[in-house]
Amino acid sequence: MKPRIAIFSLTGCEGCSLAILELEDQLLDLLGAVEIVNFREGMTEKDWNIDIGFVDGAVSTSEDEKEVRHFRDKCRILVAIGSCAALGGINTLKHYQGAAGEAEPPVAGNGDVAEYRRYVYGERAEWFPTTKARPISDVVKVDYALPGCPMVKEEFLSFVTSLLAGRTFTLPDFAVCVECKKRGNLCLYEKGIICLGPVTRAGCNAICPTFGSKCEGCRGIVSKEAVAAAGVNLREQYNVSLKDVLDDFRLFGAWQEADLP
Amino acid sequence: MLDRMLAQRDLFTLVGELARKRRIIGPVRRENHFFYEEVADVGTLDLSFNYCVYGPRAFLFPPTETLFTFNRFDHTFTAKPVLDVRPMAFVGVHPCDIHAIRLLDRVFEQDHRDAHYLARRSHTLIVGVDCRTPCTEGVFCADMGTHSAIEGFDVMLYPLHRDGRDDTTFGVMFGSDAGRDWILYSRRGAIPTAADERAFEQYEREKAAAFPRHLRMHANDLPELLDRSYDSLLWEATARRCYSCGSCNLSCPTCYCFNIYDESDLSGTTGRRERTWDGCHLKNFAEVAGGHNFRPRAASRLRHRIYRKAKWVRQRTGLAGCVGCARCDRACTAKINSVEIYNQLAEEA
Repeated sequence: MKPRIAIFSLTGCEGCSLAILELEDQLLDLLGAVEIVNFREGMTEKDWNIDIGFVDGAVSTSEDEKEVRHFRDKCRILVAIGSCAALGGINTLKHYQGAAGEAEPPVAGNGDVAEYRRYVYGERAEWFPTTKARPISDVVKVDYALPGCPMVKEEFLSFVTSLLAGRTFTLPDFAVCVECKKRGNLCLYEKGIICLGPVTRAGCNAICPTFGSKCEGCRGIVSKEAVAAAGVNLREQYNVSLKDVLDDFRLFGAWQEADLP
Repeated sequence: MLDRMLAQRDLFTLVGELARKRRIIGPVRRENHFFYEEVADVGTLDLSFNYCVYGPRAFLFPPTETLFTFNRFDHTFTAKPVLDVRPMAFVGVHPCDIHAIRLLDRVFEQDHRDAHYLARRSHTLIVGVDCRTPCTEGVFCADMGTHSAIEGFDVMLYPLHRDGRDDTTFGVMFGSDAGRDWILYSRRGAIPTAADERAFEQYEREKAAAFPRHLRMHANDLPELLDRSYDSLLWEATARRCYSCGSCNLSCPTCYCFNIYDESDLSGTTGRRERTWDGCHLKNFAEVAGGHNFRPRAASRLRHRIYRKAKWVRQRTGLAGCVGCARCDRACTAKINSVEIYNQLAEEA
């Protein structure tokens, strides 16, 4: 019997769900290998007998928390897809917003700041209570995570293939620089740009540097040691504003358990 | 002794003719830097390039390549090797990279013959271009003895007379029968005169003076220096900055390590075995079954790379493991510099 698959969304843009539909050339093969039984972005029917559940979006409200516990109950294997579900993602930026007139808090707050809620939801802000934004692993046990903003759809395919073949799946545990060099790119550091490639987990095939943008670390940090080295280099080697680089680190990586430089 | 004199104009005509039979790979300007690229129009080659950001190894030993494809139908297994035998020519290879290719040749021939590398290599013609002066700051090819090459090429070009970009006249040295046949059968160029030979001698004298030394020891003494430096505090002190990103490995023209894995389709019935560049600075490089890692710390990996480049590869192959091109030093986003490491170790010792 084909494995029954579901794709769920919490707080996020659902771009990772969309990435699955963008696997246009492989979609028919995929549907030949698995059965999709619950997918808000792609179908109306809903079934709760699920083998593998994929979740995009962060836990950012108490409603999200309830939902993700429900997903966990119903799925044999639970997979976080995208930066929001895997790392907290850009939702965590709200932790660094201060109240009106206040300086931005130096350390992450609880995310329940009235000011940004008014900014986002306008007059009805009080209708939308939010919590601190968290990766889903902060609420439930997660079996696998496929980070990235959006998730790398080729990696999703490779993950499903591994699972079907009974092979172990592991994320690359080396930096984006490896893939960037393999593509023969000119290193952005040669242009004086502080790119997060050296501290960021590979697997994206260095798509941003290849097209001239610095890596912003959407796949999360590759290791605590690399972040520690970044701290040393930012202070001793590079002549840049530490604040700008910290802002880059926070864009997707605010939640991560590494000492930021 | 020169074998032939050839004007750049004639050279480009010859390369244009060669392009009908071979893929042409040479230095092309992009983003104010030079890269080895396959060119459709030989006019885009720029032989007055300073240095290419990466060596030409990617064309002999691609970043990722399929070794064989496999099929599993009805309980039978078939595999089909993938070999790339398309003829190619590297046009514009500096002596450092010629030394690097010689090392790759040795490594992929030694012990286990690597059919994939050798298939490409045996279909490759190498046209070298000598360096009159160091291509950029920080290179230490003269220290490593790799700023000139007397073998490892089919043809070597010496830019003897340079009266503007289009009027360079090259002194030509043949390195193989294929190179000699290519030039002589074309009937282009001229026999070197006594004046050309004198110009070549002058060129060699100027070149010898133009390459400063950066190492405080002879390259032959590096293995012994490293023997004494295994427990130096320098490794930890330098590795504080190291990201373990592998940029040094991946931009090195002599690094040849690779990893192997299988890719299959969703049903698992067809697939391919691939290999891809690996690097000894990457954390899991020395991890073995069961999870033990022989070099879990950045410092031990940094030391390992330096030992390979300056000691072990030389001991194993008799050839320079490092060709002094300084690509690793330029690629290092933490600005870790191999010449500084050698010199600091020499100071400690």
